[in-house]
Amino acid sequence: MLEIEHLTFSYGRRKALDDVTFDVAPGEIVAVTGPNGAGKTTLLRILATLLMQDTGSIRLDGTDPLARPIRYRRGIGYLSEHCPLYSEMTVEEYLTYRVRLKGERSLRVRRRVGETLEACGLGEERRTQIRLLSHGFKKRLGLADALVMHPKALLLDDPLAGLDLSHRRMISAAVTAASARAAVLLTGHEVHEMMMCCTRFLILDRGRICASYRVGEHTKSALSDLLERQLAGLSGGKEPQ
Amino acid sequence: MTAVQVTWMREVRAFGGTFSGSVPVAAFLSVCGWTFVMLLRRHEGSVLQVQSIWGVSVAPWLPILSAVLTMRLFSEERATGMIDLLLASPIRERDLVIGKYLSAMTVMAAAVALSLLSPAVILPALSAPVQGTVRVSAFAATYAALLLQASTWCAAGTMLSVLFRNQAAAAVGALVLCSGLPVAVYAVVLAWIPSARTQVAWMPLLMHVYDFSTGLFSTGVLSLYATLTVCFLFGCSKMLACLRLRG
Repeated sequence: MLEIEHLTFSYGRRKALDDVTFDVAPGEIVAVTGPNGAGKTTLLRILATLLMQDTGSIRLDGTDPLARPIRYRRGIGYLSEHCPLYSEMTVEEYLTYRVRLKGERSLRVRRRVGETLEACGLGEERRTQIRLLSHGFKKRLGLADALVMHPKALLLDDPLAGLDLSHRRMISAAVTAASARAAVLLTGHEVHEMMMCCTRFLILDRGRICASYRVGEHTKSALSDLLERQLAGLSGGKEPQ
Repeated sequence: MTAVQVTWMREVRAFGGTFSGSVPVAAFLSVCGWTFVMLLRRHEGSVLQVQSIWGVSVAPWLPILSAVLTMRLFSEERATGMIDLLLASPIRERDLVIGKYLSAMTVMAAAVALSLLSPAVILPALSAPVQGTVRVSAFAATYAALLLQASTWCAAGTMLSVLFRNQAAAAVGALVLCSGLPVAVYAVVLAWIPSARTQVAWMPLLMHVYDFSTGLFSTGVLSLYATLTVCFLFGCSKMLACLRLRG
């Protein structure tokens, strides 16, 4: 269970997150959406321990990232918005490097890498150099990196941005499969696409959660309309420099 | 395999597979060979021994090589955004720093060892009295002194690469810190307080190499370089941790 309580963060004088509280249970896929500059990426960066909150607390199965950072990070899988990778490596080399870096025992590395590559539809690309991959396959590899250690919480920053339908379906399927054992939190603007896999939507505006909707409570089309209407009425904030 | 080993292996491979390792090392070997020959000609008939000339011909180029080798270690990760994935991984900042630092040191150690080719090639052509003074242990001591200096320059370069996203800026910063700053401080101290010459006798960095090459070991010099190296690496891991504070 990922629990976030009264999280506040500021870039200088500008508040990026203001008293954000919610939790994500294992099996849930929660989408955080909102206009640009609403604080989505900041929220995920704090959860990934790349930023430190001003106030508030985070717990992952009771582990506080400020008190036990290594243990907390062992429990998370993070996909960055721009999906950086080492372009000179092959897909398999990169994932092997990442699994080893995350502390997996040597005997299990090959099996873990093989399983994850298959789960993310990268089996045929395993010997391809990363610089030759399309944007969609790079995103899949970033997702494979996030998934490979079977994290308790999966943090995906805009995983569907700029992808064609087949890649979006593939990523949605992989995220849905991973949610069986993880709490998933993802951000994005693509409400229709996120509807394919998400169980709950949170709307963030100017650092505050202004609405929360469960997918089961509405029909998908009604929810989609509702979200789009609400998002159209939001102004957003400034992007952090 | 520990995080340090994994990081070290990846960085050594990156040095080998790209121009960022091979071209600077080739340039370093060329200028070292040229300097060695020039110094040998200039000191023909003097009491200077071959290992001292070799040490003194290599030492001035070490800050430049270390600045070029270390400039990409963290600045490239910051520019590509890969630093986010590294910092979100379950590893300590210090493991990351040590792994990257050791990879640069590996390349430095190999480059300094390869620079021995110059004396090895030229030595048979020298006169018998000069050849008679050559001892392997003296070369080993000179090599140790050069590595000692290289370790400090690499640690400084690694620390500065955390500060910049731009590799060239990191390299210039490392050069200023490793070459310009000690010389400037030395010049200022001597200009203002000429009597302090004895107190700051450790400042001429070439003298350390020369002393080691002639068998004059000093624990003060050893601890100076070791302390500086540890301080730079500590600073580096703290700067990395500070990236979390300001994003």
